[in-house]
Amino acid sequence: MVLTCPVATGRRTSDQGTPGHSRRALLRAGALVALGGAAVPLTGCDLFDRDDESKPPDPLEPLAAEATALEARYRAAATAVPALAERFTPIADAHRAHAEELRKVIGRPAPSGSPAAGPSEAAVDPDTVRTELRQAEQEGRDNAAKACAAAPAERAALLGSIAAARATHVEALK
Amino acid sequence: MNPTSGPAQALGDALAAEYAAIWAYGVIGVHLTEAARSAARAAEAAHRSRRDALVLQLSSGGGPVPADRAGYALPYPVTDRASALKLAVEIEERTAGHWRAALPHTTGADRNRALAALTDCALRATRWRRTAGVTPVTVPFPGRQA
Repeated sequence: MVLTCPVATGRRTSDQGTPGHSRRALLRAGALVALGGAAVPLTGCDLFDRDDESKPPDPLEPLAAEATALEARYRAAATAVPALAERFTPIADAHRAHAEELRKVIGRPAPSGSPAAGPSEAAVDPDTVRTELRQAEQEGRDNAAKACAAAPAERAALLGSIAAARATHVEALK
Repeated sequence: MNPTSGPAQALGDALAAEYAAIWAYGVIGVHLTEAARSAARAAEAAHRSRRDALVLQLSSGGGPVPADRAGYALPYPVTDRASALKLAVEIEERTAGHWRAALPHTTGADRNRALAALTDCALRATRWRRTAGVTPVTVPFPGRQA
């Protein structure tokens, strides 16, 4: 039904220069209809412009956002306390790798408007920085463990590794 | 490790890894002293209790319980502190891999137990790397084969 509606041409100008009837948009719309369109407001043409936003968020979105925020915190901490950069950088890299893997599993890019950077490290006292990061990691580890417990089989191993990695970060900050 | 195998197979593989870890710590411990030796003893005890829990779990499930072997081939000669620490890191990584592989085959309390075991192995690997002076002391995906 959606596909019979005239598509608002000219509103999609960036997608391969084929406004409106891009194959991808049609495929996406087809996928949505195949899913029964549940929870998708079928307001005709608008569907093509905001298909990603109208799908319910993946339960792993918060974990992916947390990984990105943790990476940013470690990068900021490495700048604030250069003496500990050697320790912080591999952990920042691990969080980035986690975010990338989570994005692959989610199958969608980060929602626009999600913060690119976490809170900046106000404290520059190395012990305070480490303590704060340790707390953040501990919380992150608990979140990942909960996500692992609730996840379908195909996501369990990745989430288990992320939970375990965050636990080792707590240890590495001691 | 066969990722398509069932839960009993996955837990059986984890049990086999625990047997091997317990055996390996016997070799590792004699080349360590003081705090490192105590850590090796504690690690061995932790692997024993995982083993015992698995034997109970598998036997109560009515499935086959893999038996321990009399001995294992070392991947390289363990003759001093450095080689002992290297083996300790590798044993923990390997055991972590088997527990990770059990995660998709388990749910509820069993999955939480597998995750706790994976996490413990990853933590010990990190501590052994620190003892050995290996950096970084962490890996991005504990239990995942590189």
